Amino acid sequence: MTPSDCLSPTRRGVLISLGAGIVAMTLPHGTLAQTPPSVLKFGLSTFPPTIKPFDNTGGAANTVKLMLYRGLMGYDASGKLVTELAESFSWTDPTTVVFKLRPNAVFHDGSPVTSADVAFSLNEITKNGSTAFLKSDLKIISSVEAVDDKTVKITLKAPSAIFLDLLASYCCPVISKKSTDGETIGAGPFTLKGSEKNVYIEVARFKDFYMADQPRVEGIRFVAYADENLRYAALEAGDVDLIEYLPWTQFDTVEASKTLKMKATLGPFMFLLFNVTSGPFANPKVRQAVGYAIERQDVVDAAFAGRGEPLFGFPNPRGSKFDLADPAHEWKYDVEKAKALLAEAGYANGFECRLLATATYGMHQDTASVVQAYLGAIGINATLDLPDWGTRVTAGKEGKYDIAVHGTSGNYNDPDALWSLLYSGNPSYLQSFGFKSARIDGLLEQGRNEVDPDKRKAIYQQLVVAYYEEVPQVPLNWRIQAYAMKQSVEGFEQLPGFLSGSSGYALDETKFA
Amino acid sequence: MLAFISRRMAAAVAMLLVIGTIIFSLLIIVPGDPAELLLSTGGGSASAEAIANLRVNMGLDKPVLTQYVTFLYNTARLDFGTSIVDNGSISSVIALRLPRTLEIIIAGTIFALLLAIPAGTAAGLRAGGKFDIAASAINALLTSIPGFVLGTLFIFFFAQVLGWLPAGGYVAFAANPMQHLQMLVLPALTVGLHLATIVFRMTRASVLEMRGHDWVRTAVAKGLRRKRVVRRHILYNALGPIITVVGLQLGILLGSTVLVEFIYNWPGLSGLLVSAVEQRDYPTVRAVILTVAAIFIGINLVIDILSSLLDPRIRLQ
Repeated sequence: MTPSDCLSPTRRGVLISLGAGIVAMTLPHGTLAQTPPSVLKFGLSTFPPTIKPFDNTGGAANTVKLMLYRGLMGYDASGKLVTELAESFSWTDPTTVVFKLRPNAVFHDGSPVTSADVAFSLNEITKNGSTAFLKSDLKIISSVEAVDDKTVKITLKAPSAIFLDLLASYCCPVISKKSTDGETIGAGPFTLKGSEKNVYIEVARFKDFYMADQPRVEGIRFVAYADENLRYAALEAGDVDLIEYLPWTQFDTVEASKTLKMKATLGPFMFLLFNVTSGPFANPKVRQAVGYAIERQDVVDAAFAGRGEPLFGFPNPRGSKFDLADPAHEWKYDVEKAKALLAEAGYANGFECRLLATATYGMHQDTASVVQAYLGAIGINATLDLPDWGTRVTAGKEGKYDIAVHGTSGNYNDPDALWSLLYSGNPSYLQSFGFKSARIDGLLEQGRNEVDPDKRKAIYQQLVVAYYEEVPQVPLNWRIQAYAMKQSVEGFEQLPGFLSGSSGYALDETKFA
Repeated sequence: MLAFISRRMAAAVAMLLVIGTIIFSLLIIVPGDPAELLLSTGGGSASAEAIANLRVNMGLDKPVLTQYVTFLYNTARLDFGTSIVDNGSISSVIALRLPRTLEIIIAGTIFALLLAIPAGTAAGLRAGGKFDIAASAINALLTSIPGFVLGTLFIFFFAQVLGWLPAGGYVAFAANPMQHLQMLVLPALTVGLHLATIVFRMTRASVLEMRGHDWVRTAVAKGLRRKRVVRRHILYNALGPIITVVGLQLGILLGSTVLVEFIYNWPGLSGLLVSAVEQRDYPTVRAVILTVAAIFIGINLVIDILSSLLDPRIRLQ
C-alpha cells in the first residue's frame, strides 16, 4: 500500500460533508411561512433612525409614523386632503379655523382625543428647543384655543393657503398630552408591538381606531433591506409582501411578472445646485448655460433606466392645483445657445469646476456622470467629487463645491412645497450655496399668504419666470418612484406626485386578496 | 509570572487607550454633522433652529476636550453610553449583535473545515491526480470570486430561482429555530467557502509535505492500516499550520464580515458599525471598534500567557 491509496475514508468524509450541506440547503422554504397571512410584511429601504412623531427622519420613518400616529388632517389614496382625527372644520375668517374632533377618536391608551391634546401637540412642535420639522412653518399659529373637549379653534397670524396641508403632514400628528420623552401615545391605526434596531418594527392593529373597518390587516412587520437588489429579491422569494423604492432596473421584470405588480408615480425630481458666492456660477448666465447644455432624456435613460420624464423648468408637482406650464421659460437642450450664454458671460473658453454628488446613492452618481459629459461639451470641465452621503451633506451646507447634484421631493402637491428649496430665509444643503433672491422670496411669501386660487396662480406664474431668470437651481428630470407587491396584496395605492412619501396612509385599506 | 502578566495587561490597556484616542480624533476630523444627517435622511432638511436644538440634545455643543474626557471616563467604567441617534443603550446592542457575527463566523468555519480538510487531504495524497486537478481548479475559481458576488449569486439561485432559502434577514433562534437555521445557511456558506479555499490550499500543501517524510514510508512498510497512516502519521502532523491559519482567519473575519452581513441583511456587529458610521453615531462607532479591538488584544494576551506557560524563556524576553 502507498500513502496515496489511503483515500477511502477521506473521500467518504468529503461526501458526508457535501451531503450534509445539501440536505441543510434543501429544507423546504415553505416552513418559513409561519407568519399568519393577515400580517403584511413590508420591505423598507432603510431602518427608521427614529420614529419621533414631529421629526422628519426619512421616508421609511414617515411610513412607520403614519401607522402609529395621525393628525387632524390626512390624505386619501388619490391624494385628496381629507379630515382624519378631525370630523369637520370650518374657516370662520381667513385666519381662524375651527375643528370638531371625532367623538370616537381615541389614543392607544384608550383615552379620548381632546382639544387639549391638539393644543399640546402643536405646542410641542413650536416650543423653544423643539427639533420638529414643521417648527418654522407652524410659527404662523397665533393661538390654539380649546373651546370644549371636542372643539378646537386655531388662529393664524396671517392667512395661509397651505395650513391644512401642514396639518396633514406625517410630521404633524396629534399625540396624547400624557406622552413622555420615552413613550409617545398616538391615535394611529396600529400600535407598536415590537422592534429591534436596524432589523424590524412590528405593529399590531389598533382595534379602537376611529375607522371601524380599518386597518384591514392584523399587523405589519417592517423589515429593513438597505440593499435595493436584496429588497427586490426578498419580494421575489416571498420573504416580504410589499417593498418601497423598487429599483428602476426591475420595473420591466415586475411589469412582466404574473405574481408581482407595482404602483408607480412621478414624484421626486433631480436638479443641480450652484455655489454662487464666487466664480463663474455667480453669474446667472452661466447657470442658464448649464440649463441649456444638458440633454435630460439621457439622464433619465442612464440613471433611471428610462423611468422618468425630462424636467425643463419650474418643478410644479403632479397633482398641483395650478397649470403653470410656460414653454417660453424653459431650458430645452440647445448647445449653441449654451455656448453663446457662456461667451456672453465671459467664459467662451470654458473653465474648470468641481461637481459634487454622492457615491452612497447610485442615481446621484449616475446623474452626475451624464451631467459631467454634457458640461464637457460646452467647455466646462467638471471634476467629480463623490463622497459618502454624510460628507456630501456637510460639503453642500458649507459650500465646498461649484456645482452639485441633488434629488428630493416636496411634502404636498402645491408650488409652495418648493419653499424649503427656494426660500433664502432657511439656507440648507438643499439650496444653491449663497443664493438669495428678494424677488423669489417675496413671491413665495405672497403665494403662501394668498388664499384666492386665481391670485395664487398669477403669483406662481411670476415665480416660474423668476425661477428661469435667476436660476436658483437647474431642474433635470422627474423620477418615477414605485412600490412593488405580490398580486395578492390589494387596496394599496401610491399617492400621486410629492405625496408619494405619504403613501403610508394607503396602508389603512391594504389587505390580502 | 505575575509581573509578566501585569506587564502584558498594562500594555493591553495602553494599546486600548491609544486606539480609543485615535478613533475619537478621527471621528472629530471626518466631515458630517450627525444632527443635520439625522434630520436630512431621505433628502429633506429641517430648519437651522431644529438642527441646532438637536445638536444640543446630542451633546455635540460641548467642547471637544470635555467630550474626550467624558468618553475616557465612561469607557474606563465599561459604560459605552447611549446612541446619539435613538438614545438606545450601546452595550445592549453590542451584546445582542456580537453573538450573531460570531455565529456566522463559527458556522462558516465549521463548514469550511468539514469541506476543506477532507478535500485538501485527498488532493494532497493524490497530488496531480484527477481529483487534485479538479479540486484545485474549483478552489482557484472560488478564490477569485469576491464574497459579495458569491453572495449575490447564491441569493439569485437559492432564493429567487429555486425558492429553497430566504433571500436574507434574521429571526432569533428562540423565536423560530428552523427559520433561524435556514437564514443562517447562505451567510455561513459564503463566509465558509472563502475560508475553505484558504484551508484547502494549506491542507493540501501540508499533507503533500508530510506524506514524503520517512516515518510515513516506515509506517506503510510496517503494514499499518491505511486509515491509521493517514490519520496518525500524516494528518495529525499536518494540522499545526492549518490551525494557525484558521486561528488567524477567525480574527480577520471578526472585522470583515461587513459585506456578508450587508448582502444577507444579517444584523451583526459589522452591520451596526456601518450604519453607525453612515449616521455619524460617534459613541456607537467608538464602542464597536473598541469592542473588536479589545477582543483582538484579549486573544493576543491569552496567547502570550499560554505561550509563556509552555515556554518560560518568553517571560524573560
